[in-house]
Amino acid sequence: MKKVLLGFAFTFLTVVSVLAQTKTITGRVTSAEEPEGVPGASVVVKGTTQGTITDLDGSYSIQVPSEATTLVYSFVGYLTKEMPIGSNSVINVVMEPDIKTLNEVIVVGYGTQERREITGSVTSIDSKAIENLVSPSFESQLAGRAPGVQITTPSGILGAAPIIRIRGVNSLTASASPLIVIDGVPVVSSDRSSVNAANPLANINPADIASFEVLKDGSASAIYGSRAANGVILITTKRGSTGKAKVSYNTSMGFNEEVDRFDLLTGDEWVTIANEKRTNANQSPLANPGVNTDWQDLIFRKGFTQQHNLSIAGGSEATKYFFSLGYTDQESPVRPNELSRYSFRANIDHSISKAVRIGTSLSYSYTEIFGLNNGANSLSGAIYNATRSLPNVPIYDAENTAFDGYNVTSNGATTGFGANLAGPDNNIPNIGFVIDNNLYRSRTHRAIGNAYGEVDLLTGLTARTQIGIDLTMNDDFQSLDPRHGDGRSSNGSVFMAYNPAFLWNWQNTLNYQTVFAEDHSLNVTAGLEYQFTKFYNFNAQGTDISDNFYRFYNIISGSYNNQFSGGGYTERGFDSYFGRFNYSYKGKYLASFTLRNDGISDLAVENQRGTFFGGSVGWRVSDEAFFNSQLISDFKVRASYAEVGNTGIDSFAAYGGYGPVLGGAGAGIGYNKIGNAALQWETSKKFNVGLDMTIGRVTVAVDYFNNNIDGLILNAPTALSLGVPNNEISQNIGKMTNTGLEFRAFANVINRGKFSWDTDFNITFIKNEVNELISPLTGTYNRTEVGNPIAQLYGYQWAGVNSANGNPLYVSGDVIVQYNLVPGALGYKAYDPANPGDVSVAGSAPTQAYLGNTLPKWQGGWSNNFKFGNFDAEIFTRFSGGNYIMNESVRGLLGQGFSNNHASILNRWTESGQVTDIPKLYSGQDQNMWQNSAANSRFVEKGDFVKIQNIVLGYTVPTTALQSAFKGAISNARFFAQVQNPFTFTGYSGLDPESNQYSGQLSFGVDWNVAPIIRTYTLGVNVGF
Amino acid sequence: MALVGLAVAGFTTACDVTELTPANLIPDSEAFSTAARIESAVLGVYESAQRGYYANAVQRGYPFGAANVEQGDMRGEDMYNDQLFYEITYVGSYSPNSANNSGMWISLYRMINRLNIILENLDVAVTNGVLTAEEGNAYKGEMLFLRALAHHELLVHFARPYSDDPSSMGIPYRTFGIDDVTKVPEGEAVGRTTVEEDYTQLLVDLDAAEGFLPEGGAFRANKGAAIALKSRIKLHMGDWAGVLTEYNKLTSKYAITANPATPFRGGNSSDNIFSFVNSAEANPGVNGALPSMYGNPDLGARGLVKISPIIWRADFWNAEDLRRTTMTTRSSTGIFTDKYQDATTYTDPNVILRYAEVVLNAAEANARTGKLDVAVDLVNSVRSRALPSSVAAYTVAGLGNQAGVLTAIWNERRIEFLAEGRRWADIHRLSGEGLMPGVPAKATSRSITNIDFYTTDRTIPLDHSISYDSHLFIWPIPLAEIQTNNTAPIEQNPGY
Repeated sequence: MKKVLLGFAFTFLTVVSVLAQTKTITGRVTSAEEPEGVPGASVVVKGTTQGTITDLDGSYSIQVPSEATTLVYSFVGYLTKEMPIGSNSVINVVMEPDIKTLNEVIVVGYGTQERREITGSVTSIDSKAIENLVSPSFESQLAGRAPGVQITTPSGILGAAPIIRIRGVNSLTASASPLIVIDGVPVVSSDRSSVNAANPLANINPADIASFEVLKDGSASAIYGSRAANGVILITTKRGSTGKAKVSYNTSMGFNEEVDRFDLLTGDEWVTIANEKRTNANQSPLANPGVNTDWQDLIFRKGFTQQHNLSIAGGSEATKYFFSLGYTDQESPVRPNELSRYSFRANIDHSISKAVRIGTSLSYSYTEIFGLNNGANSLSGAIYNATRSLPNVPIYDAENTAFDGYNVTSNGATTGFGANLAGPDNNIPNIGFVIDNNLYRSRTHRAIGNAYGEVDLLTGLTARTQIGIDLTMNDDFQSLDPRHGDGRSSNGSVFMAYNPAFLWNWQNTLNYQTVFAEDHSLNVTAGLEYQFTKFYNFNAQGTDISDNFYRFYNIISGSYNNQFSGGGYTERGFDSYFGRFNYSYKGKYLASFTLRNDGISDLAVENQRGTFFGGSVGWRVSDEAFFNSQLISDFKVRASYAEVGNTGIDSFAAYGGYGPVLGGAGAGIGYNKIGNAALQWETSKKFNVGLDMTIGRVTVAVDYFNNNIDGLILNAPTALSLGVPNNEISQNIGKMTNTGLEFRAFANVINRGKFSWDTDFNITFIKNEVNELISPLTGTYNRTEVGNPIAQLYGYQWAGVNSANGNPLYVSGDVIVQYNLVPGALGYKAYDPANPGDVSVAGSAPTQAYLGNTLPKWQGGWSNNFKFGNFDAEIFTRFSGGNYIMNESVRGLLGQGFSNNHASILNRWTESGQVTDIPKLYSGQDQNMWQNSAANSRFVEKGDFVKIQNIVLGYTVPTTALQSAFKGAISNARFFAQVQNPFTFTGYSGLDPESNQYSGQLSFGVDWNVAPIIRTYTLGVNVGF
Repeated sequence: MALVGLAVAGFTTACDVTELTPANLIPDSEAFSTAARIESAVLGVYESAQRGYYANAVQRGYPFGAANVEQGDMRGEDMYNDQLFYEITYVGSYSPNSANNSGMWISLYRMINRLNIILENLDVAVTNGVLTAEEGNAYKGEMLFLRALAHHELLVHFARPYSDDPSSMGIPYRTFGIDDVTKVPEGEAVGRTTVEEDYTQLLVDLDAAEGFLPEGGAFRANKGAAIALKSRIKLHMGDWAGVLTEYNKLTSKYAITANPATPFRGGNSSDNIFSFVNSAEANPGVNGALPSMYGNPDLGARGLVKISPIIWRADFWNAEDLRRTTMTTRSSTGIFTDKYQDATTYTDPNVILRYAEVVLNAAEANARTGKLDVAVDLVNSVRSRALPSSVAAYTVAGLGNQAGVLTAIWNERRIEFLAEGRRWADIHRLSGEGLMPGVPAKATSRSITNIDFYTTDRTIPLDHSISYDSHLFIWPIPLAEIQTNNTAPIEQNPGY
């Protein structure tokens, strides 16, 4: 309806007053979508400015000069149609929808707007490009599709949430993730599972989604006020349209595999290395030749994947419906990780009368994830364990029935020694036994829905109310075997938890659209919104279990000796009042202003309200009389400024006090947090200037932005010896800016006969700088300091291996020092390049420095679509770079203990004069050799990459063939084959340049024992009935 | 429209979604409003002592749930590190960034701030009639005892010994709480006072605690605990007369147990003066609890730390000693302490102060002051109870001279307090005095892979000694401490 009203308004601008007439023609304009009539359509005498517009039931009456031969019918969203006048006095027209421009009416938050009139920065992504791809959640497929939107899938664990950043990192310790709104309802975006990574967006069936709108600049997102600092992603699900029911079934099947594996030592190679480490340290050899085992074979597999989606859409004039059923089951390449989801949706819209409409969007999904322990340094962590287990030891021992035939020591403490005289470091368990016997299961029921009512009060004035809910009911189950692995120490453990989250949201808006004095178009929205969210949980655990039999499905009363329980509750509420004012003069001069006042329960009552605003202006230069270019058909410039906030702060961030603590001496209360009632909203000042231009077949959009974040809500660190809870106090401290340039160009390059080629390219350059802080924010690998981008790698500077003696060299202040790897003479020694073998002078300890930024400086995507007759193809490429990665995985795999190593350790220094980058081996000297307590430039690498993200090949069965074969039972069918993530071009030596252990802002860019990213091969079919 | 407006207005007034308060935080203003809450807050101090912060999570028994024992042992030579877990401490590769030393610093000061806040609120509670003066004083005594215990642990790890140079850099001694943003600068201004000033403050706190505290069981701070801690502190100060004064206050109240294992079987024996309680629900966990880390893998423990063959094969440890024969277990890879036994639910208390320590402190004080007979009698009261009557007690003559007696006392401390984390404190004070050269050589990390290192004369590979003059002898101040103090960052220990 909004679209209609907009169009109605717009047409006023293009219709010019009527001149002398000689003939009257009447008729009615309808369409398949609007059989009751298309109101507001323009009817113009061809070659003149004479015309009229249709009224509310689509009928019109026009006086035409006698010499007129043709009438031109046009309306936003429809193809322009020309009809010969001839001798007719009644001309009825059925308009055909213009699929391309239909997309141009876009959702902008509490309403829609025509793309032509947008003055903020909004990118739309059509779901068609991604709807057949296989991934646990939709957002990972948005990567590279839109300028300014960075999405990284940091590991191959199904259920792990991708990292989404819109126009860079916009907060230090509050959330940096965008607000996600589905059909007008902001959704809960926190992972509720306590045993698995369970991305809440994986509960949403990607096949239900019609479009994505990303609100990037302040003006576009200001309507979301306090929640807009990190951008907004608006998701619109599919809806029905008038007409016969369209049934479609889409399916695909295939498999997932790991993109790469770690290059480890064979058993025989390892024996040499392990003994050399020990003998160099004057220790006795412990390793003896045995078998050659690659423990990675145990944890990796080809994981079967399938998805099925059935939908029915249609409607009568008054009632339109969309129903869908979805099922997917995806096995990760890492055993036993698996995600399955069952979902259904019912979206219904009904017109009670011309002026009153109601509708609902309801979805339910059930997601089950089987996870695993993949802790980066957990003894039973799959990657950690499989890459460290001794490769000269067999996996199985058929005789060892007490441990199901796995090679495990008789006391269950660790993996069997094989021929070695000792077991693996840290007594790591046999990962095969662990994977087979320990269960990590999370189940989530998710209901997201809303119901709305809309009333046209006066011409152009519509009131709307919408109530939405988002209910997450997550339950967790973790069961650990008493015999071996993580459950051994407690003699078996069973844990269950119930972790619901419930959100309700109530929005009331008034929208008024009008055109006055012919050229002035106005669209005003005012509204109020309330939102309340409850998060609660409780759990039960039993340890020291009586019999393994009871362990596999649920916690069972009476099957364990020790029982534990826990729980928690928190809540959060918003109330908001907002308005938006859009004005356009002749479609040439555009302006928009937004104001919003928000209150949030997380701040103290006296400081909890914030007022946010945004404004933007645009000028469609191409509509000016002086602009007369055949080449450039559309040219618009726009600018915006807004001040918005960030609500991604800690629950009750301003509050302090005493929390419950359970000590051995009893349950007490402990000082938990220093309150700060003065805490205020953090403010993002967003400036954007951009242009949209169509040159021939090429459409270009360019945006420059500057986002200046002030008064950051920072968990400001306090000196450790103050003993302040968590060593931090929430304060408004710090400033940061993100500046960047976005560029997008898309074109229909070739459209000749059966062949067409469409291309769509985007690239974004971003610079982040922290401008003010109370003190540097330092983590193990990263450091954030004024004048630098957030989370730079910080650590020790490697200076190579001393070829004279194999000692590692590091920078210490202005000089280079060596760590002397000689028994009895260990320690830092001065290094004299003229006399490198001299270790007689004591040296100072290595010092730290910045080693590289972790945020990509540029990124983008390039899709190319080809059609040749019934064949279609897409190649989608993604690229990113300018960042550095700390390859902690490899540092760990060059460890000096009794565990397996990366194959590059074979290059270790063994003789004087040898030039290498691996020092002399020395048992137990990990810390001094590799400076494990911080990043190390030896392992810092460039993260630049180009990925061929998807290759899709499709074949659409000709309609005639379907007709003859199925007699109309099948209306369309397309077969496709696709591979996701087939190729990566990068200089990075790790498994994947996007591997990342951390997803927060202050710790970033560390590749540390994460599961390899997934490559997926699938075959599928889309069928319409 | 009016109807809609009315409905909206009506609902709005009923719809207050922003005036919420947390369900899990008692506001500062209400925390001391009842006697029960004050008791709870005091229990919260015990919790912070037993389950402090390590690597940003409550885990691993920092500082006094287990970590004081593990770190104290791993800095010495009598317990042996078998795995990566305690490697950094054991081999001395710590830095201002490394986790274990930072964990002790952070968790001790976290405990200190909790108790200082309570100390400041007790007088108010008494004035308001929430507590009687007597109750208020008892709590004050508890807090002051725990404050001294924590600061002394800091001094031993992060400062040079009093026995060397009392005017050397101590640690920030915190006597007021930080519970508001405005108090941060004042807190930052507290610098590294001298070791002497810190020891003086320790005694001020403990003298006050002794006066305030009632007698009581070992699981809460009590008068005996304050006295016993003073005996320990005066030993570090070389105040031999003071050590004896404190000892004499306790002789009628405590007694060494006939069975040397008894102090570890429930923690309520006549020998137990003060212990931190661990329970099945609240303990240092699989990655920290003493029964998990020190226990025998054949008995379900993780067994990352063994008894070192260095002490096991030392000639001063009699083969028939009950503390060998009944208080250890063995596997094919080595010998483990049996002081801590609950490897499933980790309920063994962490024994902090024992009467046996006060007795051996007194023995040393007597020996130092020439009263060798008394000294030897006191050592024998500990040693002979663990030996069959066939083994002769020590005599002054047998031990030779004062040096011999002192050596016997120090050796006895190594045996009696093995796996109790006391070794480091002795290395610290004796090295400062020049009686030890620093950290002695240890069995090389990860080299003791077979029981035959204990049972045969197989050469024990040695490494990881640290001379007293090395900067590594004391731990570095965590880098974050210095970087996040915005007004008056404290000085790093030299060499780091």
